[in-house]
Amino acid sequence: MEKATVVVIGGGATGLGILRDLSMRGVKALLVEKNDLVNGASSRYHGLLHSGGRYAVKDQEAAKECIIENQIMRKIGKSCVEPCGGMFTRLDIDDPAYEELWVKGCADSGIEATPITLDEAFKLEPRLSRKRVKSAYLVPDAAVDGFRMAWQLIDSSKRYGGQLKTYTEVVGFDSVNGELRGVKVRNQFTGEVYEIGCDIAVNAAGGWAGFVGKLANVEIGVQPDKGTLIAFNQRITNHVVNRLHKSSDGDIFVPHGSITILGTSSMSVPDPEDTSTSREEVESLLKIGEETFEDLRDFRILRTFAGSRPLYIPPGGAVGRSASRGFAIVDHANDGLKGFFTIVGGKFTTYRLMAEKMCDQICAKLNNKTACRTAEEPLVEEVSDNDKARAKKFFPSYGTNLAATRLGVERFKKVVERLENDPESRQLVCECENVTRAEVEEICKSDTSFIVNDVRRRTRIGMGTCQGNFCALRAAAVFADMGVESTAKDSLIRMREFLQGRWKGIRPVLLGRTLRETEMTRSIYELSMNVTGGEPQ
Amino acid sequence: MKTSDVIVIGGGLAGFMAAAAAASRKQSVTLLTYGSGSLPLASGAIDFFDAKIPESAIKDLPDTHPYKKIGAKALDDATKFFCEITAQANLPYVGRLSTQIPIVTAVGTLKYSALVPESMDASKIISKSKIFVVEIAGLKDFYASMIIDNLKKHFHDRTFQAVKIDLKLLGGRDITCMDAAQLLTDNEQPLANELKALNATPDDAIIIPPILGVAGNFSRDVVKTQLRADIFETTCLPPSPAGMRLQRAFMKYLQKSGVKILENSKVVRGVVEGKKVTGVVVENVVREKTFPARKVILATGGFYSGGITLRDFDKPKEPIFDLPVFFPEGAENWSNTELFSGKPQGFSTTGILTDDKLRPVDSSGKVLFDNLHVVGANLGGCDKIFERSSGGIAISSAFKAATI
Repeated sequence: MEKATVVVIGGGATGLGILRDLSMRGVKALLVEKNDLVNGASSRYHGLLHSGGRYAVKDQEAAKECIIENQIMRKIGKSCVEPCGGMFTRLDIDDPAYEELWVKGCADSGIEATPITLDEAFKLEPRLSRKRVKSAYLVPDAAVDGFRMAWQLIDSSKRYGGQLKTYTEVVGFDSVNGELRGVKVRNQFTGEVYEIGCDIAVNAAGGWAGFVGKLANVEIGVQPDKGTLIAFNQRITNHVVNRLHKSSDGDIFVPHGSITILGTSSMSVPDPEDTSTSREEVESLLKIGEETFEDLRDFRILRTFAGSRPLYIPPGGAVGRSASRGFAIVDHANDGLKGFFTIVGGKFTTYRLMAEKMCDQICAKLNNKTACRTAEEPLVEEVSDNDKARAKKFFPSYGTNLAATRLGVERFKKVVERLENDPESRQLVCECENVTRAEVEEICKSDTSFIVNDVRRRTRIGMGTCQGNFCALRAAAVFADMGVESTAKDSLIRMREFLQGRWKGIRPVLLGRTLRETEMTRSIYELSMNVTGGEPQ
Repeated sequence: MKTSDVIVIGGGLAGFMAAAAAASRKQSVTLLTYGSGSLPLASGAIDFFDAKIPESAIKDLPDTHPYKKIGAKALDDATKFFCEITAQANLPYVGRLSTQIPIVTAVGTLKYSALVPESMDASKIISKSKIFVVEIAGLKDFYASMIIDNLKKHFHDRTFQAVKIDLKLLGGRDITCMDAAQLLTDNEQPLANELKALNATPDDAIIIPPILGVAGNFSRDVVKTQLRADIFETTCLPPSPAGMRLQRAFMKYLQKSGVKILENSKVVRGVVEGKKVTGVVVENVVREKTFPARKVILATGGFYSGGITLRDFDKPKEPIFDLPVFFPEGAENWSNTELFSGKPQGFSTTGILTDDKLRPVDSSGKVLFDNLHVVGANLGGCDKIFERSSGGIAISSAFKAATI
């Protein structure tokens, strides 16, 4: 039987943070994830590295955690963070009394909030509504790339012996006399069920934590809370722009590279799998968003997406936006299962701190005295300037830096060697995101690439302007050739699945120039490729 | 300025066809185009309808369908006229309204159309025992192994062989099928030599990407005469050489017939007197200019080409004449949960409704302008991609509007 000291359940930021932390402390840990990594709230969010400003009035404990973790993340995950800075703007329709509370809250929480004049604000953010904005402050918010952070966490964990299995769902627990012995899992593709022996299991399944708890007959107060976001195809703002009012829907804009994300809504849902989005949600976000940026509707919307925040509801606690963004650790020894823990709640910005607290408890049980080092050691080594210079001979420098930080030192070196030796590998599979065939081939070979969408999350193919129109065909072909898993082989299914994934986010925003792209998608894949393979009826 | 008998707005397949048909009837024609039209997206084949016998299926359509406004005669005449134009440019098309001919796609499925370019007609592959699929070193978007994997599902018990030939395309930027087709125009011998070296026999088929030149079948003829085996071109990702060949064939015909072609002419509005359109206004960098006409044909396309726009949900617009636009109202009718859903997509049925002379009508069916005709992807009421009717509707509506 396969064995690990600790099995971590859930491949989101928290689970990956725990895997890294345990591995660095020398604990043999294995992470299982029922889907692909960061497929829940850890990628379906703003990508906002909070300064804490958003919580300065309501939840100062969370605010203080945020500002500390914000500084740590900039240091350990340098290439995942875009230090664009943040701005809080109060509009004419917002309560001036809240501004006073907020200024005090920031000061009390140790968040530097610098007031600026309106002239300065409009100079820094020219698209802000001149009619509406009444005051503005700068705060140390930043943008953070959840995908990149995840790949770097994995690389760091693996360096210390951490292991992981994707598309592996927990289906039960094995215990003897109230003591955990192992975790039963199922391979999502083959259906095979088997057991992984362990002393400790950590339920870090986020919105799914309640379901995992049920398998062990323990009740966990987690409420999946759906947030819907819109990605625009332009950089509308230079800073993270927040509304200076009581936290509400649609009041944050986060710039990432060449796009901007607007969000989010807050809606309790029964099922964390519910990542559906609707025209009504989009309309309501746009309506609020255009209070801050009047010409918002003139920008092309790329897609919309939703994720479920795993809000922790202590017995009798509040739900929805009033629920705490704090986190909780539960030792289920009190529920009759020794060795089983749940960590729930929290937010992306504080994932590292959550992992540290969880691992402190685990290590205490294991009598492991090694201190946590995740706040000091950078996630990955920097790719050398020399390797970057070699790569730049074959693709644009903008693409080089992005590829270097998502691939990491070793894979990047391999990709550069391919680029040097095989001219065909220099072809861009995805022109929108500058992804070369060499990189796609390298990722196809990875043991976590089962479907083309897995390759997309790691390389960014299909995430840009054309949303997969050109790369769907190319990626499916390369994947069929290079993919190690049998699931790679049916190129038509993989192609349709990939395009369907893109369609899900496009459908609720099917207007303007996005409509045009969709007509192109259909023209290519239905008319020129007959990708459904149908014959005349 | 001299008044044109006919002004055609739009440089896609429908616009070209309308201008050609009007010119063939000795009308003075001005063609105003802006951008490159949607031919660069085209597969090259002309789809009429997704049915074993398109002609019969079209007869059974409801009266509201654009084909019913066009009528069987215009459909028939348009098909013949289209084949004449393409044949004159040495771009022969095979097939007719009662057939469906397969072509091989770039992913290895078969696509069926009533009219296909001779260079793509894959019906003869059925009698071959060995099939070569030829990759060109450095050429993007053509993956022999994927094509073979999928093609095997259609052609059992054949030998397939993937080969890669070198035409010295490597070393610079990415090469698309269009680049290769342009490079090989009037420079076919390197390709012919490489294909000859396969030693393929008349029992074999050679499948290649669509790189046989951008002018009719001239490049294909040079290569084919040197081979014993048949060669078959596939479709490709845009830009499409097969679409380019069509564009060239039409341009040649239009120039020969004295059609005045004004490119980069963005029509911003019509000039209207009561129920009559007397001309259109074109905007360029410095000024506006009015072009008078006795008849105007609107071939500006659908959402893809900007002939119909949608800034806000449930408010589609036709930007030149502000014509009423038919559309399915509400999010639930606008699109299907699945992209490839086996049923029409609501948004794709958006467009202008007409009478049986293809003149725009309002929601009560009243004709709005007596001498304005709407053709091609501007027409609403059916999902032309789902039905596989875009090509047939384009050429037959254009022909009818031009010759009415």
